[in-house]
Amino acid sequence: MKRKGMLTCEAISEAAAKCLVRAGTTFRKDQFEAYRRAIETEKNEKARWVLETMIENARIARKKRYPLCDDTGIPHLFLEIGNEAVLPAGWLSAVHLGISRGLEVMPGRPMAVKGSDVERVEQSKGLFMNPAKVQPAPAILKPAAGDKLRITVLLLGGGPEIRAKTYRIFHRRSMEVVLTEAAGWAKEEIGHLGCTPCVLAVGIGRSHAEASALMLEAMKEGRLDRQNFWEQKLTRWLNETRVGPLGLGGGTTALGSFLKVGPLRASGVRIVTVRPCCCVEPRRATVALPSPPC
Amino acid sequence: MKGLHDRNRAVKVRTPVDEETILNLKAGDLIEIWGNIYCGRDAVLPKMAGLIEKNALDSMNVHLQGAVIFHTAVSIAGIGPTSSNKVEIEESIPILSKAGVKIHVGKGKLKPESIEALKQNNAVFAVTPPATALFAAKTVSRRLVAFKEEGMEALYEINVAGFPAIVAIAHGKTIFTRSTA
Repeated sequence: MKRKGMLTCEAISEAAAKCLVRAGTTFRKDQFEAYRRAIETEKNEKARWVLETMIENARIARKKRYPLCDDTGIPHLFLEIGNEAVLPAGWLSAVHLGISRGLEVMPGRPMAVKGSDVERVEQSKGLFMNPAKVQPAPAILKPAAGDKLRITVLLLGGGPEIRAKTYRIFHRRSMEVVLTEAAGWAKEEIGHLGCTPCVLAVGIGRSHAEASALMLEAMKEGRLDRQNFWEQKLTRWLNETRVGPLGLGGGTTALGSFLKVGPLRASGVRIVTVRPCCCVEPRRATVALPSPPC
Repeated sequence: MKGLHDRNRAVKVRTPVDEETILNLKAGDLIEIWGNIYCGRDAVLPKMAGLIEKNALDSMNVHLQGAVIFHTAVSIAGIGPTSSNKVEIEESIPILSKAGVKIHVGKGKLKPESIEALKQNNAVFAVTPPATALFAAKTVSRRLVAFKEEGMEALYEINVAGFPAIVAIAHGKTIFTRSTA
């Protein structure tokens, strides 16, 4: 094995900052294509207008580097650390610094709440005007093969958080039972989301924390142009509601679904997180930093 | 076949909006708003409702007769609809409508009580997608009106040229699907 040089904190911060801006301002190719496919098949005129407007918005955002949505979201970090990656002291702080810089550049929405525990809950001391004060959620770290530090930034908006749910499902040894109940939660909420078409993200794990982390991993990995049998089924169930874009009716309630199943415990219970991601989500971008040669 | 996206099919609405314009709007109409729009959400709309009850809003140079209110934050990241069915926002709709607001713009389905209050006051609810980049291209100017301490949740007034929305609730009728009731 060749010896590797060390990544620098500055390189890590710069990469994280650019990654955040890309996540917040850019539709990926699979998102553009999913919207185009939906426009081709959508028969409801009002629904088609919404879908076309979202494409127009994404084109302007890409060209002018504007945020896709004014709710620029809470940054969630998924960090995959290569077993041969050589990281400097303070590398995680460097990632956080990059997130702060990215929020200043994009810019992010200045929505960090001031004050003590109670004052923050009651939002009685006002807000910070600096978008960099929006702290990222605790990062998820995973080991990986190779010499790269892979940083994925996901920006999670507030609307889907009102409609998401983590709870237990008695599986009765049937995937169909689990996903039917999970889809039922989403179907109850989807008409109130407002920002449809959604992408349904689902994590199945052993604890509430793990199921949420798996849901986030589903958002990190999922592709709208590669949907497995169960993801297609979830999408079909949601589209049968005919909620449609913005709740205005039509056949495009969901553009797709992302499902991640983790290790599971011997039990009759599965813990499931369901999050109906909004029409600009999943906003994500990944950067891979190889450790330089010596 | 021309779709709804054809700008010629949008009803142009200028602010302040008169009673007749609202009477002629139907659920499902695509509209383009021109003129001044107030922007507020969870923090500021209940404060406005409180000031209306005390008859104190005029002294702040806020005039709601014929007004349009967009349920949004206003920040350096732009504007975009927040969920209008959040309790503090939806609770403000009846009193603001009674005070003269003619078009509430946001997103998400509203309760039957809100639909009735809109009808009683000849006001409508319109929805618009979170098209922040597009809105930036259609916003001419903006100014802070009141409640600066609320930051992005303060009351703002923006001037827009062709702000797009769809009338979702008008005269007791809604285009939201029944399956989400």
